[in-house]
Amino acid sequence: MSGNALGDARQRLAAKQTALAAALVAGAPTPDGFDERRVAIARSALLNKRAGEVAHTWPALAASLGPQWRTIFRGWAAGRPPRGSLRDGFDLARELAVTRRLPEAAVAELAEREGHFYYDGIRPPRHRRWTPSFVRTPLGRLRVQLMSRAMPASAASDEVPGTK
Amino acid sequence: MGADVLPAEIGVGVGWRPEIADVLAALPSLPFTEVIAESVRPADPPPALLSLVERGTVVIPHGVRLSLGGAEPVATHRVRHMAEVAEALRAPLVSDHIAYVRSGGLEVGHLTPVPRTRETVDVIVDNVRRVQADLPVPIALEPIAALFDWPDDELTEAQFLTEIVERTGAPLLLDIANVYANAVNRGEDPTALLDALPLERVAYVHVAGGEEADGVYHDTHTDPTPPAVLDLIRELCARRRPPALMLERDGDYPQPSELRAELDAIAAASGYPRITTPA
Repeated sequence: MSGNALGDARQRLAAKQTALAAALVAGAPTPDGFDERRVAIARSALLNKRAGEVAHTWPALAASLGPQWRTIFRGWAAGRPPRGSLRDGFDLARELAVTRRLPEAAVAELAEREGHFYYDGIRPPRHRRWTPSFVRTPLGRLRVQLMSRAMPASAASDEVPGTK
Repeated sequence: MGADVLPAEIGVGVGWRPEIADVLAALPSLPFTEVIAESVRPADPPPALLSLVERGTVVIPHGVRLSLGGAEPVATHRVRHMAEVAEALRAPLVSDHIAYVRSGGLEVGHLTPVPRTRETVDVIVDNVRRVQADLPVPIALEPIAALFDWPDDELTEAQFLTEIVERTGAPLLLDIANVYANAVNRGEDPTALLDALPLERVAYVHVAGGEEADGVYHDTHTDPTPPAVLDLIRELCARRRPPALMLERDGDYPQPSELRAELDAIAAASGYPRITTPA
């Protein structure tokens, strides 16, 4: 196969693969011709696998939500492309913190990560190089407390967390 | 190139994972294992894994992120990492999947099936050749378990795989649980695929458990190996016994006694010696 023909083949394959990937993890419609039911089963299995991986990286977060963990995670992650379990857990824990749904048992874990990593929510988390170890947890805890206070009380929700 | 990339008759193994490292270290013999390549820092491999290398265990770095079936050529840093892990573990072979895991900036997070077309074969063959050029050892290619197929498919799975391994010269890593899963989910006979595949190219075999849910068989690696998969090992070994068969377990780790029983069942089905009792 000539270089040009291969390049064209790559482009066509890329378009097809991206359309399927978007249907699997980014909430896009299933491309024509696929078995909708099977693709939905795969989409759901991907969410469960991802929930397990994030639980492994964020054990206190997952444990603090107990039997609701999977439901809450799936509700949050559906249609949201995976960004790695560190970042996925970060985003979810912060969202739960600002809406005052982060269980107390998970606060220390988020605080510790806030102390360890610089994460602006846009670029991947980076290790803080300058933070002496003895301030990591207190600094992180302060950040989490400030984050939780930043929301007006009206944002606190009584509904079951994360379910849609 | 095929089964001869590994010594003949290695026997039964189990995938090395940190959670079961102690159980593996306590086995009287472990001729064969595999480690997830992306989990290893080449400058600092897990000491427990290095002591297995010292004991003579064949350790295969097994990739899950190369995306050999992707539309883009494999990123050079990923190939370099694989090469460094192979050297750090003195591996005779590495492996990854005929699948894609990312496209257009999206990480799917799992091995995703590719369309079985002639055009995809051309792209995968080119991807594999580039990777081969940059690796110090051969790379075995593993077909995946697919919950669905593409509407674009032109080739049967056997035609597709045979064409790729023949054109690249790569050995096959056959996952017998995937053969079972795909046959169940497509309503086909798993032994028909065994009959159609170039079994002389199989370097080693994966064995794993799964579960039936939503009317499909899921290749979970967190459930015990079902009897039907053990039967398929017998079918495979009756045709051509591969140099090694390896249990994959990736979570919900069982008690050591259950894990050993599963390894014994694989030994019994394949006719290889048990690795749970001293020789």
